[in-house]
Amino acid sequence: MAPLLRVQDLRVQFFTSGGVVNAVDGVSFDIEKGEIVGIVGESGSGKTMTALSLLRLIPEPGKITNGRILYGDKDVAQMTDEEIREFRGNEVAMIFQDPMTSLNPVLKVGFQIEEAMAAHRRFTRQQAKDRVVPLLSRVRIPAAKDRVRDFPHQFSGGMRQRAMIAMGVSNEPSLLIADEPTTALDVTVQASIIELIRDLSREMRASVILITHNMALIASLCQRVIVMYAGRIVEEGPTRAIFKNPQHPYTWSLLRSIPRMDERSHDKLISIRGLPPDLGQLPPGCKFHPRCRFRIDRCLTEEPPLAEVDPGQLARCWVLMKNIKDPESIAQK
Amino acid sequence: MAQAAPLATPEVELTYEMPEQVTLFTDAWRRIRRNRLALLGGVIILLLFIVALISIVWTPYPTWLQAVGPTYSPPSMQHPLGLDAAGRDILSRIMGGALITIEVGVGSAIIVSLIGIPLGLMAGFYRGRVDTIISFFINIWYGIPDLLVALILVFVLSDALHLIPRGVFVIVLAFSLTRWMDVARLVRGQSLSLREREFVEAARMSGARDFSLLFRHIFPNALGPIIVQATFAIPAAVLFEAFLSFLGLGLPSPTPSWGAMAAEGYHGMDFAPHIVLAPTIALSLTLMAFNWLGDGLRDAFDPRMKR
Repeated sequence: MAPLLRVQDLRVQFFTSGGVVNAVDGVSFDIEKGEIVGIVGESGSGKTMTALSLLRLIPEPGKITNGRILYGDKDVAQMTDEEIREFRGNEVAMIFQDPMTSLNPVLKVGFQIEEAMAAHRRFTRQQAKDRVVPLLSRVRIPAAKDRVRDFPHQFSGGMRQRAMIAMGVSNEPSLLIADEPTTALDVTVQASIIELIRDLSREMRASVILITHNMALIASLCQRVIVMYAGRIVEEGPTRAIFKNPQHPYTWSLLRSIPRMDERSHDKLISIRGLPPDLGQLPPGCKFHPRCRFRIDRCLTEEPPLAEVDPGQLARCWVLMKNIKDPESIAQK
Repeated sequence: MAQAAPLATPEVELTYEMPEQVTLFTDAWRRIRRNRLALLGGVIILLLFIVALISIVWTPYPTWLQAVGPTYSPPSMQHPLGLDAAGRDILSRIMGGALITIEVGVGSAIIVSLIGIPLGLMAGFYRGRVDTIISFFINIWYGIPDLLVALILVFVLSDALHLIPRGVFVIVLAFSLTRWMDVARLVRGQSLSLREREFVEAARMSGARDFSLLFRHIFPNALGPIIVQATFAIPAAVLFEAFLSFLGLGLPSPTPSWGAMAAEGYHGMDFAPHIVLAPTIALSLTLMAFNWLGDGLRDAFDPRMKR
């Protein structure tokens, strides 16, 4: 079966006064139908830009300069303006980080959801009107019938995010991109939002791309993980494999930097030394080598390819964690 | 107990009491109520509207009727504001003038907004070349003296070509063509900042058309400042009309324009001051009322003034 979405060798460049910056460089991945994929990475690793380019919404002065984004047999990068408008929200919908500011403060919540449907041809105006209340109930907003007439400021943060999700799924898209959907929310609300996204994905058989830097979120929701660093994919694979046997030192360090309650509580947490790289001045060789505790000479000059290390698991590293004995003690030094 | 009692499924009726609706307008109203001067302005404007409406169906004497009594008569029981140089009842003419004033003021505010809002919205929203062109015209237009345009319009369109009869419409047109830039510039600024807001971005991501982004998302959020700007356009237009009429470029003679009335009475100012005083006081009150209300609205719509 052909994948729902196929990204091939995507490159996003920003043409700034300080020179050209590659925010995303040579990223390729597939999203299968109904699959939930997580994209993790630090700020500036290109995860949000990758997601925005799927909707062709790269902010100025950025541009998609290379690669293809195939959705079915259509290339998003080549669509006309009207095609891309019809595509946004209809085929691929996005949920934002901050529900506080993502709803228009002067329009009633119900009306905004109705508008999201009116922008596309899937539903008539009347159908759109009739769907608002069921949609709000479906994202578990209590007393939905009354609350459609509320303004956004009368909603709590979690409810606004629910309303945003209702808006996102209103056109029954086949792909939902959730960009840090829970970062702005209370921990108690986070769990219920994640559960909601999972349920909706299952009910509508929609794929989800979850962008986050929260590893716990990935573990609880995603089937597959893509780890990004400096605009590149450094590791990719099934969630279980990535969490159990991370092969790239960056992934490994990310996982070891999270406190765990179950085991090895006596171990010190491992921090990743240094700062995220300046995309304008990337080092030669492996982009992670200045911060890597396991580097070899080759890393300084030659960039490793993204190669299969286990069935279904890819990593961009010359060393690979499985070849290192007792990485903990090296990292603690 | 051998067995735990089965969990009772509580019959929870999910009800929700609607909190008081706090919209942009109720919120603004709440704050403007506390502003005495703005309220006074509002009352004067309300009176002006009532007087203007009454004047449509009834004035003590027809506004154009001459020699209803001795010329230059001072105020009396029969003519509370006296008579003018042609023996017309000044109270009737002030009432008729109120209607003219409102037509000019409100008409200008509407047309200025109709020109300025779309241009400003587009300039701020599309930026780039569209903005360059619109901003260029805004700046050029600022350099054109409005009196000159008014002169050309009145003389060429009305007197020479007879395209539009001399009247309220020419004045409104002249005002709007020379003063649309304030609204356009304000809306452009609002549009520039609102287009970056996340809810606009979110709407764009859900495939909203440009038209819907502009008029559903950006415009309603800029409404407060636009209303304020439009309110300030009204006294400006009223003064513009009075000024033109005072110079004899405005409304033709029998029309009871306050500016024209002041101009006519001005010659007899030393022996019959009531002829000048009546329209100028009416004009001053109107201008102040609109400015007070405008100030009050500006404060009321200012988000930084929120409790």
